[in-house]
Amino acid sequence: MPYIGSEDTVRDLRRVLSNPNVQSDQLRYRNTILKVIRAMSQGVDVSGLFSEMVKACATVDIVQKKLVYVFLCSYATLNPELSLLVINTLRKDCQDPNPMVRSLALRNMTNLRLPSLVEYVEQPLTAGLRDRAACVRRVAVLGWAKLHNLQTNSEIDAAVVNELYSLLRDPDPVVMVNCLRALEEILREEGGVAINKPITHHLLNRLKECDIWGQCEVLRILQRYRPQSEDELFNILSLLDVSLISPHPPVMAATLSLFLSLCSGLPAVGLAALERVRGPLLAACGNTSREMQFTALCHIQLLLRSLPGLMGEHYKRFFCGYAEPAYIKQRKIEVLVELVNDDNVAILLDELRGYCTDVNISTAHAAISAIGRIGRSYSDKCLEILTELLGLKQEHITSAVVQTMRDLVWVCPQCSRTVCSAVEGCEAEIQDSQGRHALLWLLGVYGEQVSSVPYTLEVFIDGVRSEASVGVKMELLTATVRLFLCRPAETQDMLGRLLHYCIEEETNMCVSDQALLYYRLLHCGIEETRKVLQCRRSDPSLGVLIGRPAEPINQWSYIFNTLEPLRPGAIETESATIGGSPEHMTFDPKPNNDLSDTLSYSFAPLSLSLSPALSPEEFEDLWLQQQENYVYMEEHVQCPTIFRCSPQSLQAAMQLVNIQTLAFTPPHTLPWRVYLYTNTQNKHSADTCHGTLILGELLYTGEEIQKKSKDEENVGVFTYIFLARRN
Amino acid sequence: MSASAIFVLDLKGKVLICRNYKGDVDMAEIDHFMSLLMQHEEEGLICPVMAHGNVHFMWIKHSNLYLVATTNKNSNASLVYSFLYKLVEVFTEYFKELEEESIQDNFVVVYELLDELMDFGFPQTTDSKILQEYITQEGAKLEVAKTKVPTTVTNAVSWRSEGIKYKKNEVFIDVIESINVLVNANGSVMSSDIVGSIKLKTMLSGMPELRLGLNDRVLFALTGRDKGKTVVMEDVKFHQCVRLSRFESDRTISFIPPDGESELMSYRINTHVKPLIWIESVIEKFSHSRVEIMVKAKGQFKKQSVANNVEVRVPVPSDADSPKFKTSTGHAKYVPEKNLVVWTIKSFPGGKEFLMRAHFGLPSVENDEAEGKPPITVKFEIPYFTVSGIQVRYMKIIEKSGYQALPWVRYITQSGGTLLNSHQI
Repeated sequence: MPYIGSEDTVRDLRRVLSNPNVQSDQLRYRNTILKVIRAMSQGVDVSGLFSEMVKACATVDIVQKKLVYVFLCSYATLNPELSLLVINTLRKDCQDPNPMVRSLALRNMTNLRLPSLVEYVEQPLTAGLRDRAACVRRVAVLGWAKLHNLQTNSEIDAAVVNELYSLLRDPDPVVMVNCLRALEEILREEGGVAINKPITHHLLNRLKECDIWGQCEVLRILQRYRPQSEDELFNILSLLDVSLISPHPPVMAATLSLFLSLCSGLPAVGLAALERVRGPLLAACGNTSREMQFTALCHIQLLLRSLPGLMGEHYKRFFCGYAEPAYIKQRKIEVLVELVNDDNVAILLDELRGYCTDVNISTAHAAISAIGRIGRSYSDKCLEILTELLGLKQEHITSAVVQTMRDLVWVCPQCSRTVCSAVEGCEAEIQDSQGRHALLWLLGVYGEQVSSVPYTLEVFIDGVRSEASVGVKMELLTATVRLFLCRPAETQDMLGRLLHYCIEEETNMCVSDQALLYYRLLHCGIEETRKVLQCRRSDPSLGVLIGRPAEPINQWSYIFNTLEPLRPGAIETESATIGGSPEHMTFDPKPNNDLSDTLSYSFAPLSLSLSPALSPEEFEDLWLQQQENYVYMEEHVQCPTIFRCSPQSLQAAMQLVNIQTLAFTPPHTLPWRVYLYTNTQNKHSADTCHGTLILGELLYTGEEIQKKSKDEENVGVFTYIFLARRN
Repeated sequence: MSASAIFVLDLKGKVLICRNYKGDVDMAEIDHFMSLLMQHEEEGLICPVMAHGNVHFMWIKHSNLYLVATTNKNSNASLVYSFLYKLVEVFTEYFKELEEESIQDNFVVVYELLDELMDFGFPQTTDSKILQEYITQEGAKLEVAKTKVPTTVTNAVSWRSEGIKYKKNEVFIDVIESINVLVNANGSVMSSDIVGSIKLKTMLSGMPELRLGLNDRVLFALTGRDKGKTVVMEDVKFHQCVRLSRFESDRTISFIPPDGESELMSYRINTHVKPLIWIESVIEKFSHSRVEIMVKAKGQFKKQSVANNVEVRVPVPSDADSPKFKTSTGHAKYVPEKNLVVWTIKSFPGGKEFLMRAHFGLPSVENDEAEGKPPITVKFEIPYFTVSGIQVRYMKIIEKSGYQALPWVRYITQSGGTLLNSHQI
């Protein structure tokens, strides 16, 4: 940020710097250099003084030296030729009897970041590795990493690598840790520093000498080690036990991470380690630093994915303080939702209700939707609170409550009656499009239960001209058509008006197309329309999946103790995986081409057999036995799915809904396929085998949509092909 | 860990001082920091980690400064925050107060420190006691380069240098406990805990070996003694000088202390404590006309003890005006910029009860903005008393030369955050 007068400043400084009188007076000389650095910090471009500053670095005054080096390192890349002049002074300093001077020179030599100087730097660095003083060795070791970073494609000098490996046995712990860091950098192509048994044991023995930074580094690098025997593994684990309950959160986290990677084959030990860190983790949540609290909370969320009961009885530790920043409150609310059980639900809801009126709107929304999530298991109490919140008549609260109620009804259809009576008359309060969107969905789907719906919709339809949101308009269309199906007499007139407006006047193509679609659909007849629009009112995947199954630890252990868990939305919340229904996301109410819907068009409603599953062999027998009554049907259902679940977890999930796995290809092969089978219940016959046999193929090609999202997950397409045969 | 660069910014986002450690992130990226922060702030979603492209900013705020670390790797977040707090700690030890002015006045030392604290994105020497031996503020005075390396850089006892001499050998021990109590609107205690710390001011010559005895229940159970009051400590954290292995094996706290002031240990006690000063409040709000506040404070601690500098902070609506007060002791003051009434009582004996009444006018036009309902907070300090009952039983000081040294012990209880969620205002 060069500002007016900066040229004058530089000119003045240059004059003073080159004045021999000043140069001979050390105090004045240093003060002038101070002015240069000050100007540099303030953003003045003082790079023009480079040659004057080079001269100034030949001095015995160590503070002046440091200042000059700061200057040189900042501007060296702009003046590669002139920088060559400094090298001489720096190399002379490397011979200085004072180790402070030697290390300073060495550090700044490598900080110049000029590839052209590498040849001059190598020799002093090699000498530095063998220096008597530890502080010089520390700098020299990292210096090699910096050199390598400067020219990453140059060949790795085996002699240096060997020397660095041998310095792992240096008496100074910082030198040792720096060696690890440097080798990691230099050998990155080969997968980092090689960790074998002697090195591991050496590092473990010296762990206590290191400061917390060093300990974290060592623990992180040891993650690569695989113990050769179970005995060795348990010896290592018991050695590490002290650090696992370390009062320093970073050390504790690094140790836990190491534990998890060492015990990846022994899930029980991993879970025991999680239990062990409960205390230190809770302590970290009470850390005086908010950022550390935040980090701890994010990591607790990760742990809860595998051990939902971990913090159950400590729920009070996650209550929010009044003055806490919103990011902590919101994470705490997310954790609280996970901790609900029969004993604490009353206290928890009471506390959450308090947060619903938080001054920060997003915190309030988080609390409201948290109550909605708890409502899946404790609907009565939660609905009571939500209804009460509507009574506050606060715009943003009403909107959030309606959205939450919509989500709740989607998974708990039995709440619909309460919800319908609660949302009646709150349309005036809702101003934002998402809230109105939710309200319209509720009114459309449960139109027959609320007496005043036609009046409400009429208000919306009268105001459609001034409606800005496309989503709301489309939802309004759908809701009105749905209402027309169940209450034709009251709705006919306004539906006509709405369709007329949307087809004739609406400029947005999506809205007018949808209106046209409905118009033509209505032409085809009421039954056809009903078939398309009478959607299901609840999430089909629910009802069987009660609660979230505990995930295996290795689902998340690779992101543990990194930046990843801190990113918003990094941790899949339940609502993202289950609650987010396609109905809510899409504006386009095209016929649901999900599996059970399409099947039910051709068959009687299906219900999968709840009796003990057939074994694969039995299934094959049955399939081959019965040739008659052969119905072949092929259905392709495409849905985007994040390709990250392991075959085992898929299998477990499918088994919950009584679908068995026949065979699957090894993971990470493309195309990846799974064969699934199931049979339906037959209520008329005692013999359960006389139902429908269904064979399905799940195909993941991995190529149809290759969207590179931020963290480079492949968003692929699963294709389901279902073959059915009925007896 | 790998932080690529460290920045110190003022509140407007201007870079005061920065240090590029790795050179793999463009230094100009920092220009996006402030705009990102403002954007998040507007949305009410401030977060201590922010991303711009593939650069992540991890930041903390200290007085009127932002300390920001940038990285383009998936680095260890807790370690980066620890390092930023370490920076604050080190700078505070150097400049007493870390703020914009102190950075500007001492930028030479700041550059020197940044150079020593981290190299190539990895923390190096972070102990301020060691740093203070070779980076001094007197650097401004002219002196020819020190020819002696501080022994501590390579010393086995990194936190104490050899050859310290005092005429009178003394050590002062402060046991400070702060209690945190959260009370809900119905008057029941939601959560309470005690956070304690033991601070030392060591003025001892040579390399003394110290041993501290506390009435620790685990220790008493180990040795089979079962007399007197004991305490159970949780989350005990020690200064690095304490030999952890000995504490683990036989609960002995033995150490070679750092010279001068230091925090030896901190602990947390998770017991049910009742608030030492109990507050009852009645706040009546008559919309469009006035608010009447009645606050009763009662000292629920021993009659012999006295709480000093008691401050009861009662929130009032932001549009209140024309305050009137009446107190049975102490004096009340209206702080309009914080929307608070602060009632101060210089000394508050245990078992006593005091009363404060306040009256505010309200404008006839109602304030539309929704206001939070902040809790009533209480601050106080009670000397010669610890809530947990922790006691220093002995402090043994052994030094080669065999001098006699005196330990002095002081106990203080403070309020950490006594929060009483008030009724509707």
